[in-house]
Amino acid sequence: MNSNNGNGRVWNTASGLHLKNFYAPEDVPESHRKHVAVPPGESPFHRGAYPTGYRTKPWRIFQLSGFGKPEDENERIRFLLEQGETGFIMEHDRNTGDHCYNVDHPDVVARREDVGLTGAVMQSVRDIDICMKDLPLATSYGHAGGAVVQHAPFALAGYWTVAKQRGVDLARLPGTGQSDFFLTYLGCVTKQQIPTRDGLRFNADIMEFCDKHLPRWVPVSIAGYNGADTGLNAYQELGALFANAVEYLEEIKRRNTMSLENAARACGGVNFRASMDLFEEASKMRAARLMWQQLLERRYGITNPKVANLRIHCVTAGSRMTYQQPLNNIVRGTVMALAAALGGVQSLGVSGYDEALSIPSEHAHQMSVRIQQILQEETNIQAVTDPLGGSYYVETLTAELVERAWEFFDEIMEQGGFLASLDSGWLHERAAENQSEDFRQQESGEQVIIGVTDHKDDVSPFDVDGFMGVDDAYDVALERLHEVRRTRYEKGASQALGALESVCRDGENIMPAMMDALAAEVTLGEIGDVYRSVFGDWATPIQT
Amino acid sequence: MSTAGKRILMAKTGLDGHWRGPTVVAKALRDAGFEVIMIGMARPEEVMQASIDEDVDLVGLNIGGHVDVAVRAIGMVRESRPEVPIFVGGVVPPHAKRKLEGLGVEVYPPGSQLPDIVAAAMRLTGAA
Repeated sequence: MNSNNGNGRVWNTASGLHLKNFYAPEDVPESHRKHVAVPPGESPFHRGAYPTGYRTKPWRIFQLSGFGKPEDENERIRFLLEQGETGFIMEHDRNTGDHCYNVDHPDVVARREDVGLTGAVMQSVRDIDICMKDLPLATSYGHAGGAVVQHAPFALAGYWTVAKQRGVDLARLPGTGQSDFFLTYLGCVTKQQIPTRDGLRFNADIMEFCDKHLPRWVPVSIAGYNGADTGLNAYQELGALFANAVEYLEEIKRRNTMSLENAARACGGVNFRASMDLFEEASKMRAARLMWQQLLERRYGITNPKVANLRIHCVTAGSRMTYQQPLNNIVRGTVMALAAALGGVQSLGVSGYDEALSIPSEHAHQMSVRIQQILQEETNIQAVTDPLGGSYYVETLTAELVERAWEFFDEIMEQGGFLASLDSGWLHERAAENQSEDFRQQESGEQVIIGVTDHKDDVSPFDVDGFMGVDDAYDVALERLHEVRRTRYEKGASQALGALESVCRDGENIMPAMMDALAAEVTLGEIGDVYRSVFGDWATPIQT
Repeated sequence: MSTAGKRILMAKTGLDGHWRGPTVVAKALRDAGFEVIMIGMARPEEVMQASIDEDVDLVGLNIGGHVDVAVRAIGMVRESRPEVPIFVGGVVPPHAKRKLEGLGVEVYPPGSQLPDIVAAAMRLTGAA
């Protein structure tokens, strides 16, 4: 009946789901129809996490930011807050942070010009203190950094130590870290990393520690984004994200040291990618909320609405930002942000229009904030919650994504679970298949990217040269590292490091010892050396 | 001429761990008949050493960070294997692209299409 494909072309979503020309009431699966009339803020939450949506809680404007020396990053964060950002993210230099190396590590020395290009270098609590200067810790929503699993305990303990020193009560401190398996073991496979089993332990330790001391802190954030931007499609991103959540919940269940409800609440702040397929991406956010409710009820018997309502942070797809004709990316950022807003996310970061060239310039950063402000203030989009709800198309797509995502979840379970699918490289293969397919479609003309595959001529090229960063990040970091070693109370530092090593070996929660280590000015690289001697390296399943 | 027996070394100069680009390129090169040796994240001296040990016909560098790290790797390869051509891909902003092209290195920034990269590899190795 309505399967007219136009001039013979097959119309699919970005993840390959077949699309009809139009949707009618009978297309919405019977089992899904009952959810449609449930208002937002009520189980199963697919129509929204909160009853009054953006009217009472506009999404948080939350941009990744960081480069250079800690003071450079601090300046950029304060600039973004002045521009109207409503939370802030501290990014640590990836060369040193991800690997837990100090700047005098041979692998960093060999790439010294890279240092500070992707975040500020923070090797001790002193650096973190500089980066956090005058930031509204108690009233805003801070992201402490520590996206990579082995780095997270250091980044979190550093942030909390500085907050404590400033007299902020940790029991009231809002914020989050990330400690993301998708980034660490799938998207950006670093040169050296603790094995997944030990990474799981770290994340469970963080969850336990927050449960006791930082109840308002979101301890871990599972970032499907990092899977999706590596190649996983929409339903694979969903399925894998919940398979990851199951690993955390099972670990907590096994430990029996905190309530499973609290653990579920701790896992219930997640991160998805919004890419260019507008309706599929909006439907994905809706599907995610529905799946979380189903997972908790069916697998763990958890129905508490304060736990079962998934809160979503969303980032627009960096990989879809083009090098060619970069101003076109302002349009792409807007469309992807719209998908996220239509999907009802709680928090959003928009990639810079210069994403394919460099980390964001100040102008690109401001534009990422402006895109969100224009959507919030000029389009009336915040007036009505779940504006796509009840659309035959969107409800059908939501239901189909849920179904496909559970199938993918089951496939991961058949592989032995999420960790096993990372250890074996099975998940990497799924991402790589899609990467190759993407390129094939671009070559065949099935996938058009304006300015890249088509319409390559640019009448008056706008000069976007990429952000240059600062050139003294490495030298200053090296000087500060020497200064910390020279001026800290050495006996205290070595005792704290020794205690951390014992805890790493004995299996106790590492966070109290990590807090002591940061307070004693133990440096990042010393902590990394402990990890490397205690845990060894993850056997990377892919050749990078 | 053909790609049979032509060897390409691929390395990442940075520590950033983004494997998507180089992996897709390596697959396309292998599909075209090249033998691709991937050494992953490598320091400039490791790139140079591998270009000798592996007796390659072409070196491909993926840049995720500062251009000067790549420039150092290029300099070291050129010193020991001046006859081996080098091409570069990854996040290479225009100012870095100009610098590399000034060194006689071909640059393939994001958005480059695989057939163009494969054609460049064939030309640079004398396979086409």
